[in-house]
Amino acid sequence: MSENIKLYIDQKEIEAKSGSNLLQVAKDNGIAIPNLCYHKKLSPTGACRLCLVKIEGQNGMITSCSTVVKEGMKVIAFDQELEDTRRGLLDALLSEHNEEYDSTYTDDLQSLVLRYDLDKVENRDAESLIGVLDFHQDFSSRVLKYDSSKCIKCYRCIKACDEVQGKKVLSMNERGINSYVVAGIGVWDESECDGCGECVQLCPTGALVEKPNLNFIDINKIDRKVQSTCPYCGVGCQMDFWVQDEKIVRVTGVENVLPNDGRLCVKGRFGYQFIQKPDRLKKPLIKKNGEFVEAEWEEAIKLIATKFSEIKNIHGSNAFGAFASAKCSNEDDYIFQRFFRGVIGTNNIDNCARLCHASTVAAVQNALGGGAGTNSIEDYASADCIYVTGNNIIETHPVTATYIKQGKAKGAIIVVVDPKYTQLVRYADVWLQPKIGTDIALLNGLIHVIIRDNLIDKDFIENRVQDNWQAFEELKKLTNKYTPEYVEKITNVPTEKLEQAAHIYGNSKRAMIATGMGMSQEITGVNNVYSLVNMCLITGNIGRKGAGINPPRGQNNVQGVSDVGCLPNIYPGYLSVSDSANRELVANIWNLEAQNLPSKPGLTAVEMMHAAHHGDIKAMYIMGENPLISDPNLGHVEEAVKNLEFLVVQDIFNNDTTPFADVILPAASFAEKNGTFTNSDRRINRIRKVVDAPGESMDDWKIIEMIEQMMGSSMPQHKNASEVFDEMARIMPIYAGVSWTRIEEHGIQWPCPTPNHPGTDTVFADKFGTPSGKAIINPIEYRPQTERASEEFPLILNSGRLLYQYHTSTLSGRSDELNHFAPTHFILVNPANASKMNLDEASKVRVSSKQGSLETVVRISTDVAEGEVFMPWHYNDAKVNMLTRDELDPTSKIPPYKLTAINIIAI
Amino acid sequence: MQETRIALRNIGKYDGKTLNDAIELGVFNALGMTIKHFSNVDIIESIIHSNLRGRGGAGFPTGLKLQYTASEDSDQKYVICNADEGEPGTFKDRQIMEQDPYLLLEGMAIAGFAIGADTGYIYIRGEYYKSIKRLQYAIDQATEAGFLGNEIFESDFNFHVELRVGAGSYLCGEELTLLESLEGKRGHPRIKPPFPAQKGLFQKPTLVNNVETLAHFPEIISRGSDWYQSLGNNGSSGTKIFNLSGDINKPGYYEFEFGISLRELIYEVGGGISNEKKLKAILLGGAAGTFVSEEQLDTPMDYDSLRHIGATLGSGAVIVLHEDRDLGDFLENILRFFKHESCGKCTPCRVGTTQLHSNMKKINKGSSDNTNLLDKMLKEANLMKATSLCPLGQSPIMPLSTAVKYFKKELLKA
Repeated sequence: MSENIKLYIDQKEIEAKSGSNLLQVAKDNGIAIPNLCYHKKLSPTGACRLCLVKIEGQNGMITSCSTVVKEGMKVIAFDQELEDTRRGLLDALLSEHNEEYDSTYTDDLQSLVLRYDLDKVENRDAESLIGVLDFHQDFSSRVLKYDSSKCIKCYRCIKACDEVQGKKVLSMNERGINSYVVAGIGVWDESECDGCGECVQLCPTGALVEKPNLNFIDINKIDRKVQSTCPYCGVGCQMDFWVQDEKIVRVTGVENVLPNDGRLCVKGRFGYQFIQKPDRLKKPLIKKNGEFVEAEWEEAIKLIATKFSEIKNIHGSNAFGAFASAKCSNEDDYIFQRFFRGVIGTNNIDNCARLCHASTVAAVQNALGGGAGTNSIEDYASADCIYVTGNNIIETHPVTATYIKQGKAKGAIIVVVDPKYTQLVRYADVWLQPKIGTDIALLNGLIHVIIRDNLIDKDFIENRVQDNWQAFEELKKLTNKYTPEYVEKITNVPTEKLEQAAHIYGNSKRAMIATGMGMSQEITGVNNVYSLVNMCLITGNIGRKGAGINPPRGQNNVQGVSDVGCLPNIYPGYLSVSDSANRELVANIWNLEAQNLPSKPGLTAVEMMHAAHHGDIKAMYIMGENPLISDPNLGHVEEAVKNLEFLVVQDIFNNDTTPFADVILPAASFAEKNGTFTNSDRRINRIRKVVDAPGESMDDWKIIEMIEQMMGSSMPQHKNASEVFDEMARIMPIYAGVSWTRIEEHGIQWPCPTPNHPGTDTVFADKFGTPSGKAIINPIEYRPQTERASEEFPLILNSGRLLYQYHTSTLSGRSDELNHFAPTHFILVNPANASKMNLDEASKVRVSSKQGSLETVVRISTDVAEGEVFMPWHYNDAKVNMLTRDELDPTSKIPPYKLTAINIIAI
Repeated sequence: MQETRIALRNIGKYDGKTLNDAIELGVFNALGMTIKHFSNVDIIESIIHSNLRGRGGAGFPTGLKLQYTASEDSDQKYVICNADEGEPGTFKDRQIMEQDPYLLLEGMAIAGFAIGADTGYIYIRGEYYKSIKRLQYAIDQATEAGFLGNEIFESDFNFHVELRVGAGSYLCGEELTLLESLEGKRGHPRIKPPFPAQKGLFQKPTLVNNVETLAHFPEIISRGSDWYQSLGNNGSSGTKIFNLSGDINKPGYYEFEFGISLRELIYEVGGGISNEKKLKAILLGGAAGTFVSEEQLDTPMDYDSLRHIGATLGSGAVIVLHEDRDLGDFLENILRFFKHESCGKCTPCRVGTTQLHSNMKKINKGSSDNTNLLDKMLKEANLMKATSLCPLGQSPIMPLSTAVKYFKKELLKA
């Protein structure tokens, strides 16, 4: 910990942490030294020179932005000479500056101009150079525009791109008075700029401005800025929504608040159009004679209550299946599962975590005693090794990836394990490219080398692993045969690379693992993650800041939807439904009799679809999910939903699932309601009502409470979502200390057991959550995958996501900006396969598997290995899940989205 | 007048290529002595005692730089030879590199020994084709012969030299900008501190010295620091290469002990003003230098005497202007140069160099407002001096203020 020191600024005694930046210290103490090029998140640049001060014992004037405070330092921040100098500098700056102002941006320069009375031309010395200088404009980007006439060359955009986002797309072109910012080699839209807009956010003038709504926005007419949480991935970025005339016109990242500290990605900043699209669902719809007809809420709720009662009476409680939503709030999901358990009487509740990290959660839960990520997102920036496996993290968790890139910049070594090239490979020290489905062999090989070369953490094994040396010996015995040579035969990973990766991970003091869908979405998903945990445990890389195992979560609230009990085997707070004490607790809070709560775990997502197909499930309630794109083996899913007697779909848009519904209920989006989301690092963040919900759409939890009432439930009803939160916090030990008043500005990371507990950034610091308090090694033997390439289906299909689209693209696909970057589907084919199969770039092809087929176009790329192909699954005109299998991992019931044997035929 | 040649001692005595000829002239003797007979502390103390100061322009005591860099604790240190000779009117380093490259390499190796560096880089001006060719050849020859590389003189001292070619920016001769460029980055100055001795190339302790400075090392070692210190005048020890150019009968490079007067340099060494014209002005030290007039001709050329009259020695450039030269035009040319070479990173230099040039143009065109414009220029240049990030922006005040000091009437076209 750095100690505090005392310094004096203009005779005022100030206490500061030693090593702090003088300008920031002054700022934090209310001393407003003028500055333009400085930003807290960036290294000092010293370009604008406005922050000059005098320091006793040093000659001349010194930029405070580049000065580190020292004990007893005496600083003059304001005197006549300094102020005259600053006025002179501003005067100079103005002479090269285009001062036309169009109210579309905040101008820090302008406020300084007013402060120094330089708005009056007679106070200026320097003659304007406008008219003499050549300015450069680049309006080619879809999301922003650059105008060098308003650029003060502060380098904040360049450093934002470099130091914050780690992308290094921007640089200065030309030199001297003619310099201007360029993206790539000159044209923004042709550069590698991915549109995250960090540069715009940190631009102090109007040189860089967001393009959307430019002809409408007037920052003087912004009615409000509302802080909320991003609705896309599970990073949980905090953002401000700018509202003008009840229209959302701009989104900016909230600085100084974790997890994102102002950063956003292109989806977060520019993907908000969907909220106010005219095709939002606005009124309940009831299918009558095959046609959807608008209905009043009362009619729709009555119909649902009647049908549900009827089906329950005839077929029993387990004839119901419920799909909760990782897009909805904790409050929505909590009430949803409460309804199915308390009113319907079934545990057939699941959510899309089943399809993404169910296997990770199962393995980590069993091995470590807690299924969530062990560390904070910002830990990636301070780790000395970052091991990213099966996770295209730059595209799928772009803001988390910024911390990884910062870690790299600080010297962290990066290991990427992925059968497909991902952008992170560019930052990686080693890239292991195993054949799809061979992770266990690879990990056993890594463990083999780590043990062979004695890179294990003996203290950790001794004290923190269950059955310590006995467990270790079993692992050693099992991995004995996984020599690098043996592993190379299975995985195709060269022995020297395997050794290198093992040495990097084994020698690291603080290694962070990010594990993704490549590990989890296999029928060996649980075992994959067990193997990963084994490597983590023998090297002791867990339970400390910067060391742990983390599954970046895909959906904005996929952590929360599980936390609040939308799983077939648990109540809110991961309390087992089979435990009678838990049933008592829950029944008490829900005002029910415990014996009416089902004690048997329900069915998982894909199992529910199978049961519907069999006719065992008659009624289904799908809230904020789109299984007709997202579930595996879609042909089968379609048959299943058609087979239902009654289907309720509650959503904000019509999607590929709604046509099969009997009733469609219009829900409010995240931007129209209050609530909470819980992100990947267990942080409970607020969402807030930004604008009114369109038409008659309502908060999801309110809709469900209406049905509860209609069905005569005696469970407590709530006036607002905050009350819902308080009710669930009473059940959930991990949320018990949290209330909305505590998370106004900053979220809190669970576990947070009491109201004065600060929350937990790193879990398992002292003990694991297993019954013994120790971590469990589960040695796993590699077995070849059941699905293999064959003569009929010679290629292995891997599916995944792109930066610019999101899941079934119901939200992202409504943004013109995002569609511009990623308009359509494709299949990546290795050049060797393409030439063997006579496929050219952009060839139209039919792709088929045992399950089904689709049409798409070929992109030839070495990003995929020979024998493997890749498709994004976002597009509903090429539904990848027509091809995928619904065979399941035996423990976690996750389907193997990452491995399907397919064939490609040119058409 | 008799030159005292130390840095130029082998110039013209061999072809600048043949290593054996250089060896016969004594090159690498001092390196051998250094390695066999001295410790690194001995070398540093010797350089300190010699009173050698940096010949690139700033005149910082070389021995102290060595000491600072040597005292840093690091697994890697570097010696960098600043061979980005770009100051207008300066062509001295080029002579050493073209005609006696081995002497420079020897100086670098001694410096490496002194600070504990095993790697040296020569950052050389891209337009110096012949120097580049000669140096690369010399590096290869010396490495092959064992004067560079591993286990030099059968010791455990290793020293490797690599050549890095600049791409045409004056600013890259500024030592911190040079480091950025050497790291493959855009040629922008760094914020000081840290100084190169603490965090230089790739954040490692680094010694940056000019070609001429390093070329003095071998003789200081061979003949002793007492001898070296005794040369010169008024606290400036040793010799300096002066570059005579402009309206002078015998332009060229000449090495003299400090203390030779300007009058001697111009009239005895340089053969007087060309075309039998009268002298008007002398620009000392290049673009980032100072004007003097005929009245200052008897000033001894040493650091302190020049400082005393508000002038600078700088790189050793002596640019002579005869009576018919238009000083306003010449100053405009200098200001255009600064504008062209400003990197644009900091506001005062980026805008200031443009404003200065623009105002000078106006003055030269002649306007009723000339006095006011000149005052504005001085104010601007003073602001630049006080606030600019690097020496480039801090420099225009020097030629400007001295031009005004001696030639104000002419500048105002009054």
